[in-house]
Amino acid sequence: SSPALSSQPQSIHFDLKTYWKQLILEINQKLDEAVPLQYPDQIYEAMRYSVLAQGAKRAPPVMCVAACELFGVDRLAAFPTACALEMVHEASLIHDDLPCMDDDPSRRGQPSNHTVYGVDMAILAGDALFPLGFQHIVSHTPFDLVPESRLLRVVAEIARAVGSRGMAAGQFLDLEGGPNSVEFVQEKKFGEMAQCSAVCGGLLAGAEDHEIQRLRRYGRAVGVLYQVVDDILEEQSKKLDYTDESKRSKGKSYVEVYGIEKAKEVAEELRAKAKNELEGFEKYGDQVMPLYSFVDYAADRSFSFETSS
Amino acid sequence: TLTEEEGKPTFNFKEYMVQKGASVNHALDAAVFLREPLRIHEAMRYSLMAGGKRVRPVLCIAACELVGGNESMAMPAACAVEMIHTMSLIHDDLPCMDNDDLRRGKPTNHKVFGEDVAVLAGDALLAFAFEHIAVSTIGVSPPRIVRAIGELAKSIGAEGLVAGQVVDINSEGAADAGLEQLEYIHLHKTAALLEAAGGEAAVVLGAILGGGSNEDVEKLRNFARYIGLLFQVVDDILDVTKSSNELGKTAGKDLVADKVTYPKLMGIEKSREFAQKLNRDAQEQLSGFDPDKAAPLIALANYIAYRQN
Repeated sequence: SSPALSSQPQSIHFDLKTYWKQLILEINQKLDEAVPLQYPDQIYEAMRYSVLAQGAKRAPPVMCVAACELFGVDRLAAFPTACALEMVHEASLIHDDLPCMDDDPSRRGQPSNHTVYGVDMAILAGDALFPLGFQHIVSHTPFDLVPESRLLRVVAEIARAVGSRGMAAGQFLDLEGGPNSVEFVQEKKFGEMAQCSAVCGGLLAGAEDHEIQRLRRYGRAVGVLYQVVDDILEEQSKKLDYTDESKRSKGKSYVEVYGIEKAKEVAEELRAKAKNELEGFEKYGDQVMPLYSFVDYAADRSFSFETSS
Repeated sequence: TLTEEEGKPTFNFKEYMVQKGASVNHALDAAVFLREPLRIHEAMRYSLMAGGKRVRPVLCIAACELVGGNESMAMPAACAVEMIHTMSLIHDDLPCMDNDDLRRGKPTNHKVFGEDVAVLAGDALLAFAFEHIAVSTIGVSPPRIVRAIGELAKSIGAEGLVAGQVVDINSEGAADAGLEQLEYIHLHKTAALLEAAGGEAAVVLGAILGGGSNEDVEKLRNFARYIGLLFQVVDDILDVTKSSNELGKTAGKDLVADKVTYPKLMGIEKSREFAQKLNRDAQEQLSGFDPDKAAPLIALANYIAYRQN
């Protein structure tokens, strides 16, 4: 496919695909253990169906691990939180797909959770995944690597990100907002999770407050960038294939609100903004490369995960 | 239900409940204030501030004070427990679950705000409960707060509250449900927060945050389990022995819904004996503590045992 943006990537020396795929394997295995099949089976089946869905990119966990490793802290410190991010993210998605919300019968090419397990079970699966995420953090994070005071900040960060000032606010505005809400919705629905993931990685590693602030701005820019580029790619594929009806209702996509040229400008600005934040991490040397490469991946989609792994 | 024992009115239970309940209401009002987006926060507050006796938060504070802590140490956790209780009611009332139009004589959350907002308000309360404990608990060491968060998470998820709801959904219409399954439902649903006087998490959180020893925490956990089960047995007995008028709800509702109940499984007399035993067992757990500080919890157990509606 043709690239959405024209400027050149700057992280060509780092093999993001290998790094990411390796982490996906590790995270999938840990998620498999974290959400075991047990009594009552139905609820765990519903939870596992979404959490272990084939083809999930695990972007929030990978971002969290990369941000933690930036500061030279072992990824073992980040795995429980990385898994929790995926759990709360899936919980949000399960509820977003419900008939009374976005009414999406499918996700990632598979029937959505309520389509398979019923609306009641889907609500409960989401309700169970949020706390399981927090429980997983506090019961699995190695205390020798991460003091409890940091865990409290991590829990607070995730709770804020999914709550009424974060993703729930984004979903609310997405359902009810007018055309002017597109920036807010994109920031909240898509920027929050990336921001939270980067910040949690930094918090686990004991980063200083000014570094956390940088990760916050970086993560938000990357998350929104990813979505804006998704909107651009969707628009481009629509031009090629008229049968591909967009599911997104009007007023929810940058492209629909501002047009494709403006959306590309916004994407370039976000790419520059995200990289600008990373310049503040120069002293960590090559360890910042994964974070750079996420920016380019979000913009260019230079590889895909579609191969069965 | 049970014949009243000779009163020993040295402790004014009613006054205690009113006074502590007022502190809790004040703290809840301050914690979940109106902010953007207004409608979600209105929905959160609509159900959270709808009244109720605040039994769970008071249990949390009483347990904290019993082991030597003070009210302020437990207040954020007490509020969190109430937020989660409220969230479970909002989601439980949804059309795809119990489909209730009224709660405490007021229209249910989704009737006022719509199903979409009701789902989001519930999710937001769940998330905020964790944020509130993590951020607002003062005077308690981080390891204890982390432990409390783990206990709270466990009490909600697929091992707790949600599991009880799943089994409850499955057992409706299944008259062959056995005693074991019934106890499972009640231990996970009632004792894990759903019904009016449960609150294992409330009691355990209070004991942890108040600085209780492991032994103290386990004694109080047992106490909470006994009174949670006691509440349910008494509820089941009242359901068959009282008229709808006296109960303020539809008597015999459980029979109509073909739900498993204690009187159905063991008869009224045996159910009453079982309730007596549970009350004795509950109070026995408190025998090693300062009697003055144990008075609120003892009064609460008696209140549950001897209530008439």
